[in-house]
Amino acid sequence: MTAFSNFLLKQKAGVLQKIRQFFDDQAVLEVQTPSLLDVPVTDVYIDSISMQVNEAIEAKTQFLHTSPELEMKKLLSQGSGDIYQICQVYRDNEQGSQNFNEFTMLEYYRLDFDSHQLMDEVATLIKTLGVKGETHKLSYAQAFEQFAHIDILNSSFDALKVIAKSHQLSVDFDWIEDLQIFLFTALCEPKLEQFPICFIYDYPAEQSALSKVEKGVSRRFELYLSGVEVANGYDELQDASAYEKIFNRENDKRRCLNKSFLAADTSFLQQLKRPLPQCSGVAIGIDRLISQIA
Amino acid sequence: MAYYSTSQFKNGLKLILDGNPCSIINNEIRKPGKGQASNRVKLKDLITGKTLEKTFKSGESVEGADVMELDMQYLYNDGNEWNFMDPNNFDQFVINDNNMDDVRGYLVEQDMCVVTLWNDNPISVTPPNHVTLEVVDTDPGLKGDSAGTGGKPATMNTGVVVQVPLFIGIGEKVKVDTRTNEYAGRS
Repeated sequence: MTAFSNFLLKQKAGVLQKIRQFFDDQAVLEVQTPSLLDVPVTDVYIDSISMQVNEAIEAKTQFLHTSPELEMKKLLSQGSGDIYQICQVYRDNEQGSQNFNEFTMLEYYRLDFDSHQLMDEVATLIKTLGVKGETHKLSYAQAFEQFAHIDILNSSFDALKVIAKSHQLSVDFDWIEDLQIFLFTALCEPKLEQFPICFIYDYPAEQSALSKVEKGVSRRFELYLSGVEVANGYDELQDASAYEKIFNRENDKRRCLNKSFLAADTSFLQQLKRPLPQCSGVAIGIDRLISQIA
Repeated sequence: MAYYSTSQFKNGLKLILDGNPCSIINNEIRKPGKGQASNRVKLKDLITGKTLEKTFKSGESVEGADVMELDMQYLYNDGNEWNFMDPNNFDQFVINDNNMDDVRGYLVEQDMCVVTLWNDNPISVTPPNHVTLEVVDTDPGLKGDSAGTGGKPATMNTGVVVQVPLFIGIGEKVKVDTRTNEYAGRS
């Protein structure tokens, strides 16, 4: 083994150890949830890896988890209290210098936290792990205003297409949220490279995913370290009906794009007859995080 | 004309952007946690030489540029036009003086250069990495300062001014690195 790969092994082991210490100190419980699932994720732009199992008995298709989110939320609805998990997750159709088919994720949930309390804790956690620099916070609207002079929350789909065209960017989008995300990547993300630690919060309602929408914005945040996205957090939806609405919407989009694996996780919705407690949760990409620790 | 999808992007691929031929120098895939992938691409505009950055939606198609790079011999210039020849078939190509700003100081008659053609028209010339030029003007060297550290400016027979060691005099031939405009030794 080379000195460098030995260093990387030790570095990752050290980070995982510090994470476990951090949560132990806060009395957050470490859990493990199944990574082989009957139902794939519905997120339209996240592809599950499928496999045939039990071919010698009764063959069925299983899916590797793309995130432990729904399985952990089942535990939360059963009254687990604060929980965290460190696991490998798997995604199909990923490539690039920052994107892989398998990576290490830290996912954790804090009862009674709102998104800002969770951002504060994530900032403390990553500093404990060795990330250096001042912490910046910008709302999604502020970022667009400051970096691109766009009033993102009050611009219609057509208005955004005109703006994209003026920047000679593609306007071939079916949904406004996809164009918002594309404009953020093209016009805002490069400007985030100047900030060692930057939280972007309060996303447009169209991008709510599984987060609560209040006062016209979804209570979500993402964390960028020197322009690299490393975390995605929500003030979580609580009721089964709210989840079902989002799953159906994602499935409608999948149908429009002729994508496979249409299914809503009924076992999850069934479980949520007991709603989730008020909580906020975040997923952190550990490999990307480590790459940002000098 | 051929179109290229983002999945075919790779370094060196030539595309048309804003009407100009460009060459990809870096292609990075960005995939937000929630949302479609996009390609952040760095390109060099082959006409202006400027570097641009542009984000493409994944799956977007862009028109390819018919760009070729050929080894050619520099023949002569008449003040307005610079003449090159493809030694394989003796085809001659003419480049307007306006497009020669960055390289005219490094072209020596008979030297082989790389000429970039777009739709069969020459758009730029890359001289060899090292060329031999003759000093036509420079201050006399200071006596006794043979290990001189600072150097002095010297005008070459092609017009370019290069910093040379103090011991180099008028009429001497020197090697010049055309990428950095630096003295690279006596010839």
